[in-house]
Amino acid sequence: MPASIINQSCKQERMGSFFKLIESFALEIGSLRKEMGKKTESEEDNGKTDHLELSEEVGGLFLRSSPCAGTGAELARVRDSGYHSLHRRLSILDRLVHTHAVWLQLGLSHQEAARILTNQPMGTFVVRRSNSLKKKVVSLRMHNDSPVCVKDFPVKESQYTFSLEGSGLSFADLFRLVAFCSISRDVLPFTLKLPEAISSAETFAQLQEVAKLGAGFWDADWNERKKRFSLLTTPHISLPPSLSQRPVSLTAVPGCPQFQTRTPAEIDCYQSNGALCFINPLFIKVHQLDGTFLTATLHNPGTPKQGVREEIRDLDTGNTEAQRSCLESPPANCSDQNQETHFIAVSKLVLQDDNSSSENYRTHSEQVVPRSPPPRPPPPNFAPQRSVSPLQQQSMPEKIPLINSFKEDLKEKEKGGGLLSWLGSSFSISTSSSPPKRVGISYPISIPSLALPRSSLSHSPYKSKTSPSNLDDAQCHLAMEDQTIEKALNRAKLHGQNVTQTSSITTRKPEDLAVGQENDRKELRLSDISTDSSGSLDFSQLPSIFNSPPDPSPPTVTDHDKLPKSPLSYDMDMEGEEDDGEEEEEEPDNDVSFESDPDQDQDVTMVPPTHRTKRRSSASALVLRKALQGQLRKMSGVFNSLMTPEKRAIRRVLELSQNKASYFGCLVHDFISYMSEGSGTQAWQVYTSGLELLQSVRQFMTQMKIYLRQSSEMELPIESLISEDQIDQVLEKAMQKCVLKPLRQVVNTALQEFQLRSGTWQQLKDNLSLAKARQPQEMGVSAALHPDPVAIEKIKLKFQVICKMYSPEKKVIRLLRICKCIYNIMQNNSGRMYGADDFLPMLTYVLAQCDMPQLDNEILYMMELLDPSQHNGEGGYYLISAYGAMTLIKNFQEEQAARVLSSETKDTLRQWHSQWQRRRHTTQCCAPSIDDFQSYLRVVLQDLSNGCTAKTLQVGPFATVEEVCCLCALKFKVADSESYGLFLQTEGSSQQLAADTYPQKIKAELHSRPQSAPFYFVFRRVDSGSTITSINDLSVTLDPQGNPNNASEHP
Amino acid sequence: MLSKVQLYCCDCPRELKFGKSSIVCRFVQDHFDHNISPTIGASFLTKTVPCGNELHKFLIWDTAGQERFHSLAPMYYRGSAAAVIVYDITKLDSFQTLKKWVKELKEHGPEGIVVAIAGNKNDLGDIREVPMKEAKEFAESIAAIFIETSARNAVNVEELFQKISKQIPPLENPEVDSNESFKLTQQPVASTRRCC
Repeated sequence: MPASIINQSCKQERMGSFFKLIESFALEIGSLRKEMGKKTESEEDNGKTDHLELSEEVGGLFLRSSPCAGTGAELARVRDSGYHSLHRRLSILDRLVHTHAVWLQLGLSHQEAARILTNQPMGTFVVRRSNSLKKKVVSLRMHNDSPVCVKDFPVKESQYTFSLEGSGLSFADLFRLVAFCSISRDVLPFTLKLPEAISSAETFAQLQEVAKLGAGFWDADWNERKKRFSLLTTPHISLPPSLSQRPVSLTAVPGCPQFQTRTPAEIDCYQSNGALCFINPLFIKVHQLDGTFLTATLHNPGTPKQGVREEIRDLDTGNTEAQRSCLESPPANCSDQNQETHFIAVSKLVLQDDNSSSENYRTHSEQVVPRSPPPRPPPPNFAPQRSVSPLQQQSMPEKIPLINSFKEDLKEKEKGGGLLSWLGSSFSISTSSSPPKRVGISYPISIPSLALPRSSLSHSPYKSKTSPSNLDDAQCHLAMEDQTIEKALNRAKLHGQNVTQTSSITTRKPEDLAVGQENDRKELRLSDISTDSSGSLDFSQLPSIFNSPPDPSPPTVTDHDKLPKSPLSYDMDMEGEEDDGEEEEEEPDNDVSFESDPDQDQDVTMVPPTHRTKRRSSASALVLRKALQGQLRKMSGVFNSLMTPEKRAIRRVLELSQNKASYFGCLVHDFISYMSEGSGTQAWQVYTSGLELLQSVRQFMTQMKIYLRQSSEMELPIESLISEDQIDQVLEKAMQKCVLKPLRQVVNTALQEFQLRSGTWQQLKDNLSLAKARQPQEMGVSAALHPDPVAIEKIKLKFQVICKMYSPEKKVIRLLRICKCIYNIMQNNSGRMYGADDFLPMLTYVLAQCDMPQLDNEILYMMELLDPSQHNGEGGYYLISAYGAMTLIKNFQEEQAARVLSSETKDTLRQWHSQWQRRRHTTQCCAPSIDDFQSYLRVVLQDLSNGCTAKTLQVGPFATVEEVCCLCALKFKVADSESYGLFLQTEGSSQQLAADTYPQKIKAELHSRPQSAPFYFVFRRVDSGSTITSINDLSVTLDPQGNPNNASEHP
Repeated sequence: MLSKVQLYCCDCPRELKFGKSSIVCRFVQDHFDHNISPTIGASFLTKTVPCGNELHKFLIWDTAGQERFHSLAPMYYRGSAAAVIVYDITKLDSFQTLKKWVKELKEHGPEGIVVAIAGNKNDLGDIREVPMKEAKEFAESIAAIFIETSARNAVNVEELFQKISKQIPPLENPEVDSNESFKLTQQPVASTRRCC
């Protein structure tokens, strides 16, 4: 069917629905949606007018090196044969990312920048750090007649964004900021101009060539450069990369994958205005009204407003990206999103000719499917088309038999709407898990809120949806039959009446939608648990139930990971944060493929940390978010790459840590394998105490952080991704992920082993049970209320959650929550404030009652591994309090006799203290040299009979080959060690190392080579005929040198 | 500039514990404004005090004063920049306890720790047992800050922290600063109580 017809019908619908707008707030939403709809519509219908308009927007983002790059419409037509012109249109962002070595010169002084830029044309710039301002600045070459030749424009870095001072536009990172300024001058006097060599480059290879010059680029002779480039260019022009090659070559470029930038070719294969969204400010206050409105409408108790706002922000800034992101997402995503749109559409009250529009619709999607992921979802009623979506395939089969036909479309919608990909799989497993789906879907339709009368609540969202959004209307008509609407209304009514849910799925009537939404808080999370008792609760009653501390219902959950979501955990005012930890805990597992989880990224980014925790505050929020994703998901692909600087940086570090070819990855790998040798046995054999073990882990992480900051292995300087005050935090997170996460089990085992061996475990257990028998008063607890057994049970569960985490920060956050909980019990709404005199005894009492000897190690773990910068904060305080309380319990028997701190404890404290000072020392002095990290060496034992075995050995930087050989002989239990030698095995060659050389230096040297081939240190029998080659020539460039900080070598 | 302040409370007999809480609470409640970031409980408080051109952020660590927790005190004053010891001017033995605390701090406390002595319950002058002169002289003898306060009437509480602020050695490196901490040891109203 001709596109124009669709276009027309859409317009009609828009008009129709527009008239139905009654409430003014709906207008606001409407305008937002209209905007979105319009864009999407143009995507569908290839309307030329739209294209012209859009392509203008888009065009700015590209440097058009060739005039033949026409406007969008024409481009779209010639697309198939137009690679030649397209491929040259590298986006500015690409250019910037690949050539950051040229323009991002943080170390440059103003004078140097001025010197560099003086010879450059107006608009040329470098980004550097100003020492006086302590900020990054864009040094810009001004007009020749301006008073200063080079002017600095400071860059404002907030927690997650970069912006120019005075500008209202914020960007996720420096690259996007600069890219934007290259197109629009914003607060600058004129737009930034990339050097000719960069702006005219046509391939990534050329860009890389430029990037190699680094700062030297500016000094090289301009003309020469140009010449070189024209030479370089020639061969490429005739060989434009094919479409399929494109992405590959992209990812092959170091640093690029992280941005997931698309070449125009990639994008344009789907539509002409594809590259629209390369650059997007994160925050522009455009649709603020819409935002507030949505927030208000959707608000319900426990809903994290921040989350909503964020989504709205996505909407605000993302609407222009609708088309592109759709293209970006994989087919599953795409149809999923669209399903979602359907689902939202259910709530619309506007009705037009269903048949005709669905007819249109279908035709349209048929048209589109063959050449790209379906931009529009198939209407729910068309079963054959459903199969288009892999996601559906996945979750559908269990359900289909269960549903009767007329509900099918509802379900369909639900699936598309509420089901997030990650929720989806678990939900579809059992029938009991299906209600959450419904929840997911139905939520946006009617959201009960305590703040508003029920009836108005369930209706207002409908009204809000009656906005004139043409696109949604179109779908709405597809999805909505009179019946459906009636059902929806019914549902709302029923919901109001607090309908009790029947448990069997097959008997569910329309009202189960409503019930489902009442349940969502629990069920979404406790997806596998049947929550019959609470299932029938009216949503609005939940908060009050959660708030009454003596919650009589016992925890029904056996899986502790799910615990925080149980009603039990809602009695704290920090309840919202309950979910966060785990989410984060589990998340790394999903991270396995670094590039493929847009969802997660969206979850984690953009919100300042304090708010972020709130986002998770309830399942309803989740649902809400998911529901909104129908629109937002389209943007998610873009935001995935745009908006997660922190996440991206962490990923980058993780990737690096897994890349054994990198020096960093090698160090991390060596450390981890050293620690985990013998699943922890080595750890407790090598170290004398758990404390020492933990301290060496901490030391390692701290040093690696410093290394990362200095090293060039991070392809993109981390300063350009994250604002400076965040860097340490982000690196800490990353290090925890790549070191603590794999080591947690090992460390736990080792700690336990230490405890068992030293006998403290038994002592602790004995004393705990003694202390547990004491009355609160005997523990020094004053008259304040003390927790009853139920509360103790809750606290215990929280402690159990702590034990499952690896991140000390998160553990501490949990600990703080427990403390908060204790305070709440003590205060009991009296408003009285309790200081340490009351709190510490109470904490001791609670710890004794919990009777969890494993907490001792947990506390030690936290104390030693927590980022030292946090030791002085609130977390540090309560950690010390917990440690103190535990110490008191540990020495309970002796307590009456001697009230002195046990020598052991004093020891710990002293060491902790000195560690703290050491850290200060480290930050003051220059950072440790590479030698600090070279404590490990992986050596392979080559044995003719047994093949190869490898061990990671602790080898100091100044250990000679001779010493290493002795160590190897010992570790590998080689009897005739004299006949063995250490060899360096590289591709195809093997050299024996001279006895007086230093393996670690050789390793460092090898790593520092530009193309490091894989190499191994092999401990094997010396063949009689082999020659001993001194590898000294290898290490010529190493100075004989620097003072290694031995701490890491001898932890 | 961020500074960690540890607030040591010497324990006082149970019946007197109110004095200690009140000075802490006063400290917080009086300034329940943007300067105070919320904390989960009164044992740990933060407060920002303007000092010259900078802001000093105090992290106040309250210390349990009971005898049984005495052994834990070193954990709390570790790394502190200042300690406030509070005694009760109406209880002579609280002043004696204070002396013990000062001794301990001088012997085991961080080097260069700023000690402030606060005589609380200034409003109950009629039943005063510790003459101001004596306390002042003692404070001078140990080069400590001395001030009499009334937590109930909010007298001199702010001043106390201003004074501490001024005495905390300026740190050259702002980054190092941020880890500097003050410990306030407050000897509460009662005699045996360690100050918070």
